[in-house]
Amino acid sequence: MKKLFLPFLATVFFMSESIFIDLWPKDELYQQYVFVPRFLLIFLIFLTVYVTQTHGMVYGLIFGMLYDIVYTEVLGIYMFSFTLIAYMMAKAMKIFHNHLFITCFLSMMAVSVLEFYVYGIQLLIGKTNMSFHDFYSHRLLPTLVLNVIFIILCSYPLKQWLVKIGRREREE
Amino acid sequence: MPQFFLNKRLILLLVSIIFLVALIGFSLKERTELTWPEQFIKDTTGFVQLIFHKPAQLVAGFFENIQDIKNTYKENKLLKERLDEYVTLEAQLQTLKKENAELRAILKKKESLRDFVPIQATVIGRNPDRWQEIIIVNKGEQNGVKKDMAVITPEGLVGKVQHASQFTSTVQLLSALDQKNRISAYVQGKENVFGLIEGYDEKRKALLLKEIPFDAKIEKKQLVVTSGLGGIFPKGLPIGEVMEVVPDQYGLTKMVYVKPAANLYDIDDVIIVKRKIGETLQEKEEAK
Repeated sequence: MKKLFLPFLATVFFMSESIFIDLWPKDELYQQYVFVPRFLLIFLIFLTVYVTQTHGMVYGLIFGMLYDIVYTEVLGIYMFSFTLIAYMMAKAMKIFHNHLFITCFLSMMAVSVLEFYVYGIQLLIGKTNMSFHDFYSHRLLPTLVLNVIFIILCSYPLKQWLVKIGRREREE
Repeated sequence: MPQFFLNKRLILLLVSIIFLVALIGFSLKERTELTWPEQFIKDTTGFVQLIFHKPAQLVAGFFENIQDIKNTYKENKLLKERLDEYVTLEAQLQTLKKENAELRAILKKKESLRDFVPIQATVIGRNPDRWQEIIIVNKGEQNGVKKDMAVITPEGLVGKVQHASQFTSTVQLLSALDQKNRISAYVQGKENVFGLIEGYDEKRKALLLKEIPFDAKIEKKQLVVTSGLGGIFPKGLPIGEVMEVVPDQYGLTKMVYVKPAANLYDIDDVIIVKRKIGETLQEKEEAK
């Protein structure tokens, strides 16, 4: 039962993004700005830092693939980036001191890197013609604001959970 | 150089980049159908989504209801005023319908481009990264949904089916229409003016109706509806009303900004439209 907790948590985060967007009132704010919930990515980063690198990368691969198939219908984009970001994060944590604040800061970096990367690919395959200025002001900044709020609310309980799970994994 | 190739991680990275490019290329190809693993994953997650979504929507619906109750009095007043108008319209509609049916019987023309079978569906998910506005609905091929079918809400057209898997399908909203997807439409007036809906203007929040003859007379507030000539959409689905008419970039034809009738953002329940006339033809062909 306890083994199933981690996949369940990941699924909840995976679903929460879609539900969040669906339930957000479709007001002017929604139509004007694009704020993308990156809860799954933040979860993956915390997973990498507080459980193990392998966990982060495997979950990144699986849920990245799900994300591609279910939501975007362009295969490969998130599968590749989630895994790579989990790997980079594990490398980065070896350099930095392991502290909650550092993890949060790196998560924000990862969210913006992901946004840039997806923007680049969308430009490359010609699915968008958004200018860089529009991208920056209407997409990147609102996204960062939303995810900062999410991190402020959830980082501490998430860390406590994952540290507990990580301890159990290591004991086995 | 040999050292470069010995670095396992670097090679892994390069291989995965190649893999990534191949996958993107594969999925950008014009596909009529999704591969079965994709369909399977979509249906499974669709089921899980449905489980998560229902309670969340109920809670959100409750708060929305409270909001609605606040406005009830105002709305009620307005609606009562409209009611009388509605009754006369309804009576007119009934007689016209009857007359139409009789005339059709005389002509021995049973089928019309307008006839369609509605398939009710609920939105169970939305693309969280909003590069393409895509919604996921809970009806699929098993319910008769096919690629490219029109998707409407009671107000008007909202999009078309992008891909259908067995139990779920994805709907591309009109606001995400790319240049390749065109919808044949016309402006209702004394003389109908035909054109093609091509693309969406993000800034003005309007659809672009192009390829309109330069001498066509179009006024503001005229209705734009589907023409049914495209092959899959039925005739007469409302799209929106004319906002502005401008000459297009070469000056040979006109372009009309169309304000969508339906709210393209706030969508909870949709109706997938299955045209009757093409279907019977297809069945006959298949029977042969």
